[in-house]
Amino acid sequence: MLHLFNPQQQIQRAMIKRIFALLVVSLLLFACKSGGERKTEDEFEVPDDIVNEGVLEISEEVMQNIVQNISSPVEMASLVKSLNADFSGKYLAPTDKVDDLTTSYQQAFHLGIYAADLGYLNIYNKTNSVIDYITAIKTLADGVRVGQFFDFTTLKRLAQSNQNLDSLMYISVHSFNQMDKYLRSDNRSNLSTLMVTGVWMEGLYLATQVAKSDPHPEIAERIGEQKIIMDQLMLILENYRSDKYFRKLIEDLTIIKDEFDDVTITIKKGEPVAIEEDGMLVIVQKDVSMVEISDDRLNSIIEKTEQIRNKLISN
Amino acid sequence: MKNILKYIFLSLIFFASEIIAQDNVELVAQCAASAGNVTYLKDFIVKLDAGIPGGKPPSAKFSMVLSKNTQYRFSICTAPDSEGEAILQLFDMNVLQGSTYISSTGKEFPFFDFKCQKTGVYHVFISFKEGKPGESVGILSFVKKL
Repeated sequence: MLHLFNPQQQIQRAMIKRIFALLVVSLLLFACKSGGERKTEDEFEVPDDIVNEGVLEISEEVMQNIVQNISSPVEMASLVKSLNADFSGKYLAPTDKVDDLTTSYQQAFHLGIYAADLGYLNIYNKTNSVIDYITAIKTLADGVRVGQFFDFTTLKRLAQSNQNLDSLMYISVHSFNQMDKYLRSDNRSNLSTLMVTGVWMEGLYLATQVAKSDPHPEIAERIGEQKIIMDQLMLILENYRSDKYFRKLIEDLTIIKDEFDDVTITIKKGEPVAIEEDGMLVIVQKDVSMVEISDDRLNSIIEKTEQIRNKLISN
Repeated sequence: MKNILKYIFLSLIFFASEIIAQDNVELVAQCAASAGNVTYLKDFIVKLDAGIPGGKPPSAKFSMVLSKNTQYRFSICTAPDSEGEAILQLFDMNVLQGSTYISSTGKEFPFFDFKCQKTGVYHVFISFKEGKPGESVGILSFVKKL
C-alpha cells in the first residue's frame, strides 16, 4: 500500500491526467472544427515576413478603421457600362502568370487587380471568363492565407451555370470584403492596403482605357475625381514607406499623382433634401463637386496610367 | 482539474466566437438581401455596450469614399437578440445627410437612398436607440449611376 503514496508516482499520475485531458480537448476541437468552412489553426499560421514590421506612422488599430470603399470592384465597371461602353477583354489583366507571383506583397496587389477584373466581368455578365479569374484569385488568396474566405466552389458553380448572377456578384464582393477585414484584424493592414491599391489601379486603368477608345465627359470627370481618392490612398501607402516594396510602389504611383496636379475640383454648397420616392426615403445631396480637366491632361493621365499599371502587373 | 476547466472554458470561448462570426455572416447576407434589387458593396458589423445613463449613446464610425452621380443605399438590420434598436446616420464632414431614424417624428426606415453629387470621404455612424447595448449590421449598396 505504501507505493500508492509515493510522491513521484503521484506527480506522474497527475501529469498523465493532464496530458490525457489536453488530448481529449484537442481532439474535440479538431473534430468540431474540421467540418466547418473555416480552416484549422495551422492554416492561419502567418509567416513572419508578412506580418507588419517596423514602426507605423498610424497605429495598426487606426489603420483597421481607415477609409473604406476607396475603390470598389463594382462601381467603376458600373459607370463604364452605364455609358454603354462595349466590353473588352483587352482591359483585363492576364492570369497566366499567377504562379510566378511568389511574395505576399505581389499576391495581395494582384488579388486587388483580379477582384476589379472580376467585378468588370460580373457587371457585363461574362461568366465564361469568370472561371479563370476566380481560379487566379483563389490561388493568390491561399498564398496570403485568406483563401478560407473565398468560396471558390460556389462561385465556380454559379459561373458555370450562368444563373443567379446576383449571388455571383454578392459572393465575389463579400469574399473580397471578408479577406480585407481579416487582414486588417490580423495586423496585416499592409496586405489589405495592397489589395485596395490593386482594385483602385485596375479601376482607373479600366476608366482611362474606356476614355481613350470612347471619350465621354462623364468618364473624364470620374477620372479627374480620382485626385481626391488618390490623396487618401497615398496617405495610407505612405504609412508603409519604410518598406522597400511600398517605397517603389509609392514612387510609381506618384508619377500618376503628379499628373493630377492641375486638375481642379470645386464644390458648390447646398443643404441635402429628403424626398419620398415610391415610398422610400431618398436623400438628394445639394453639395455638388465640379471637375475641370483639360483634354491634354486627360490624355497624359491615360498614358501614365497605362504605363504604370502595365509595369505593376508585370512585376 | 483546474487545467481541464481552463481548457473547457477556452474551448467554449473559441466555439462562441465561431458561432458569432457565423451569425454575422448570415445577418450580413440577410440584410444585403433585404436591401432589394441593388448591388452589395460593404457591410458594417457593430456590437456596442450600453451607454452611460444621461450620456451620449455609444456609436461606431466607418469612413468611406462615395462617388458623384451615384445612388447608394444605406440599410440597417438589428440582430434578432439585440436589446437596442440600431440607427444608421450618414455624415459629410459634420453635416448630417441622412438617417434611418428621424427623431423629430419618430419615423424609422430600414434603409434610405443617397444621391451623391460630390465625390469624397463620408462617415457612417451606427448607434442604438437610448444608448442600449446591441448588435447590428449596416449595408452600403450600389443602386445606380445617375
